[in-house]
Amino acid sequence: MTLYEGIALIQEKQAVVLDLGADYTKFGFTGEAAPRCIIKSEFWCPMERRYKRVYDYNTTEELYDNLVQMLHLLYFRHVLVNPKERKVVVIESLLTTTQFRETLAKVLYMHYEVSGVTWWDTGRACAATLGVGTALVVSIGAREAEVTPVVHAAPLVHAIQVPPLGMQAVRVHLAALLKEDNETELQLDDNVLEDILVRTCFVPSRKLAIQLASEGCNGVRSVVCGGAGMSVRVTGRARALAAEPLFERDRDMASLPDAVLQCLTQCPRDTRRVLAENILITGGGAALPGLKARLAHELRHLITVEPYKTQLHIKTFKFHSSPCEDNVCAWVGGAVCGGADGGGRAEPRDVYLRTRRLRDWACLLHNTPPDHHHHCP
Amino acid sequence: MAYLVQPDYVKYVCSCGQMKPITNLYFCRHCLKIRCGFCICHEVDSHYCANCLENMPSSEARLKKNRCSSCFDCPSCFHTLSTRATMVQPRQDPASGDAKVENKQPKKMYYLSCFNCRWTSRDVGIPDQPVASGGWPERVNPFANRFAQLMEYYKAIAQQEKQEKLDKERKKFAIRGNYITLTDKTGLTGAMARNRAGMPSSESTSSAIANFVTSQATEEVDELPDNYHTREVNLKMITTMPQRLASPEWQAQQVSRLQPIARPLSVKRSQRCRQCDHNLTKPEYNPGSIKFKIELLAFYHVPEVKIISYETIKPGVTSALLLKLTNPTAHEMQIQLIQPNEVPEIEEKEEPKNIEKSLEKSLNLEKDMSWKSVVERKPTLPSAIKVNNPELTFTLAQRDDAAEYDDDSHHDTNDIILWRKSNKLALRLQLTTDESAKAGLPAVAVIALQYTYRNTVPPTSTQPRDHTLYTTVTIDLGIVSQ
Repeated sequence: MTLYEGIALIQEKQAVVLDLGADYTKFGFTGEAAPRCIIKSEFWCPMERRYKRVYDYNTTEELYDNLVQMLHLLYFRHVLVNPKERKVVVIESLLTTTQFRETLAKVLYMHYEVSGVTWWDTGRACAATLGVGTALVVSIGAREAEVTPVVHAAPLVHAIQVPPLGMQAVRVHLAALLKEDNETELQLDDNVLEDILVRTCFVPSRKLAIQLASEGCNGVRSVVCGGAGMSVRVTGRARALAAEPLFERDRDMASLPDAVLQCLTQCPRDTRRVLAENILITGGGAALPGLKARLAHELRHLITVEPYKTQLHIKTFKFHSSPCEDNVCAWVGGAVCGGADGGGRAEPRDVYLRTRRLRDWACLLHNTPPDHHHHCP
Repeated sequence: MAYLVQPDYVKYVCSCGQMKPITNLYFCRHCLKIRCGFCICHEVDSHYCANCLENMPSSEARLKKNRCSSCFDCPSCFHTLSTRATMVQPRQDPASGDAKVENKQPKKMYYLSCFNCRWTSRDVGIPDQPVASGGWPERVNPFANRFAQLMEYYKAIAQQEKQEKLDKERKKFAIRGNYITLTDKTGLTGAMARNRAGMPSSESTSSAIANFVTSQATEEVDELPDNYHTREVNLKMITTMPQRLASPEWQAQQVSRLQPIARPLSVKRSQRCRQCDHNLTKPEYNPGSIKFKIELLAFYHVPEVKIISYETIKPGVTSALLLKLTNPTAHEMQIQLIQPNEVPEIEEKEEPKNIEKSLEKSLNLEKDMSWKSVVERKPTLPSAIKVNNPELTFTLAQRDDAAEYDDDSHHDTNDIILWRKSNKLALRLQLTTDESAKAGLPAVAVIALQYTYRNTVPPTSTQPRDHTLYTTVTIDLGIVSQ
C-alpha cells in the first residue's frame, strides 16, 4: 500500500473543487464530470445541539468555526482524502463578501494546510462548460439570481445584475399560496417546501400564464402532498404561480428578464448581440420545469416594448445548454478548468503565508492599471 | 461529566481556548497539553465499507471512487439493499432443437431488494444476475463524452499558454543577430525537446484546439408539453430532492430511472498533534475492531470533575457545591484548587539550539507554525461566580481496579473532603455569587486545578518525569434564580 502511495506522491494529487452554495454544497475532484457529493450546507453543531447552516454567522470567528466544521464533514465523510498538501479550486460569486473570502482562505491555507487555492467565479466557470469565450450566464441560485456577462472569458463586473430572485423567494411565495389555499396556518419546514416545489410546481409558458391570469387557475390539476402525519393540498394555483415572483414586473422593473436586459444595456455596444445569442440559464433554480422556456418567452416579449426596444436592437436570443445537470454547472466548470491547468494557476500556500492577502477585483491594490500613477507593482 | 443526549455540564478549557467535555478531548503526552478536535490535525487512516466491514487499500478506493464494490444502498430510502435469490427455469430455446437435460435444471438468479421500502432492482428493469455479488451493470455519466472533450480542449489551451510563456521568456534573453543556428530557425530543437520530455508536439495541441466544437446556441428552448398543467401528477413517480442528490451524476427525476447506489466507504481517522507531530490516536487497521493502537484521550490523563449536587445560585448569596474528583492515571496525584486567573501563562520556551536545529533552519525545514495564530483563541470565562478555594492540597490515589475489594486505609474526611474511595473523592465547596449577577442568566462557575502528572513516556535524560499541570474547568449550575 505504501508503495502505491509513494507513486501517487510523485504525480500531482488530484485537486478538489468546492462550491459552497447557500443551500447546497458541491464537492468533488477535478477532472471528474460530476461532484462526489451534493449535500446541504449545514452540519451538526454539538454546542448548540442543532443543525447549523454555514451562512448562519454573526462574527468572523463564528464563520471560521462553521467553515472548519463544514470542511471537516466534506473531507472526512464524503470525499475521504487528507486536505493537507492538496490543492483546492473554490467556486465563488464575484460578489462574495471580503469577510467570507478571507475567512475561507484562512481556513483552507492555515487550518487545513492545503497547498494551493484557485479562485474561480461562477460566471466564468459556467461559461467554461460550454467552451465558448463569450456568454451571458444567468445563474439562478438559492438566494439570488446572478446575471454575469462573460466576454472573452472575462466577466464584465460593472454589468453584473444580482436581483434577490432565487429559490428562497419562490419558496416564500409558495408558502404564502399554500397558506391561502389551505386556509390554515401551515408550519411547513423548508425541506418540505422544497420537496413540494421540485415535485409539483412548474413554470407555465407566457401564453399560459396570461391565460391563467385572466381565467383563474381552475384548469390546473391539484395534488395532495402527503407526509408523515400531515398532508397538504397543493392547488393548481400554487403549482403554476409559485415561480411567478421571478417574472413579476413592477415599476422598478426588477424581474428576472428585466435583469437580463438591463445587464445587456450596460454591456459595451459591440458585445450585446453576441451575448444575446449566447445565453446560458443555469443554477439549481433553472431545473424547475418550464423555467428556461418562460424566461425565453419573456425576453422575446420585453425586447419589443419600451425602454428596451430603443435601447437594445437585438433581434434574436439564443440559448445554450450545458453538458451537466443545472445545479452543478459552476462546479463542473471549476472541475474542467482546475483539472486542465493542473493547479498551475493556484495561489500557493507559501505565497499566501508571506503576504496574507488574496487577490480581489474590488481591491485597488490588484486592480489599478499598470500605467496609472497609483499602481504599485 | 458528559452525557449522550444531555447538555455537557462540565467543560474543560482546551489549550486552544475551546470549551469541550472531557470525552471530546485528547491529551498530548509530549507537549503535556490538552488538545481537541479543533486544534489537532486529522488524517485519513484506512478506508473500509461500514456494511461488509471489508478493508480497501487507499489506492483501490481512489480507483473505485470511494465506493464498495459489493454493497448497495437503496436509491429510494437509502437503506442497505439485500441480495435475493430466485429459481428460474431457463427458457427453452426453440432454435437449438431439443435441449440437453442439464439445461432444464432451474438456475439461481439474484436481484437486489430493500427490506425497508420494498424497492427491488426489478422495479427499474435491471436484469437479474447469475452471480450473487458484483456484476451489476454500471452506469456511465451521460455527459462523460462531452466532458472529456472539454477537458482535452482546455488542456491544450493550458499547454499552449505555457509554451507561449516559455517562448516569450526565451525571446527576452535570446541574443539576436549573429548566432541563430539553423535548428533554432526551423524550430527543430523545440520539437526535439518536447519529444524527449514526452510532451505532445505543438501540432497536436493546436489540432485539439482546432477540432474542438464549441457548444452551439439554439433559438429553441425545451418547452413543457401543452397539456402539462392538466395532466395528473403522480407523486409516487417523481423523485424527491434527497433521492436525486444521492447520485450526483444522474439525478434521476423519475422513480423508474433510479439505480442502486454503490455504498460509499467510510474512513478510520488518526489524529496528530500539530505542535509536535506525534499521533494522539491511531486506530487498528481491522475495520471490525474498535480498539486503538495509540489512544491519548484526556479521559485517561486529566482528573475528571463531576457534579454531585449544588444549591440554587442567587445573587449575593453563598451556596454550596459538591464535586467528585477522579484520578484516572496509574500514579498518585496531588491536586490543588486555584483561581482561574492564577493559572500561569505557559510561554513557549526557546528550545536549546543544537546543530540539528540550525541545520533545519538553514534548510527551511522549520516547523510551520502559521496555524497557531488562527486556531488558538483566548477563552472568555465568566467571572460572576467565585469559588472560595480551600487552601488545601490533597492527594488522590492511583486508579486501581482491585481497590474496591480492599478496605480504605485512610479516612481523613473533614469539612471540605466529604468522603474518599480509592481514586475518587468528594469535595464541598463554597460559591460566592456576585451581587451584580442577573437572574435568569446561566450560572457558570469556573475553577482551575493544579495537579501533578507523571509522564510515562520513556524519558530523555534532560526531561523530568513529574510535572505540575493546570487545567481550567467550567461548571454549568443551571440559571441564576431570584
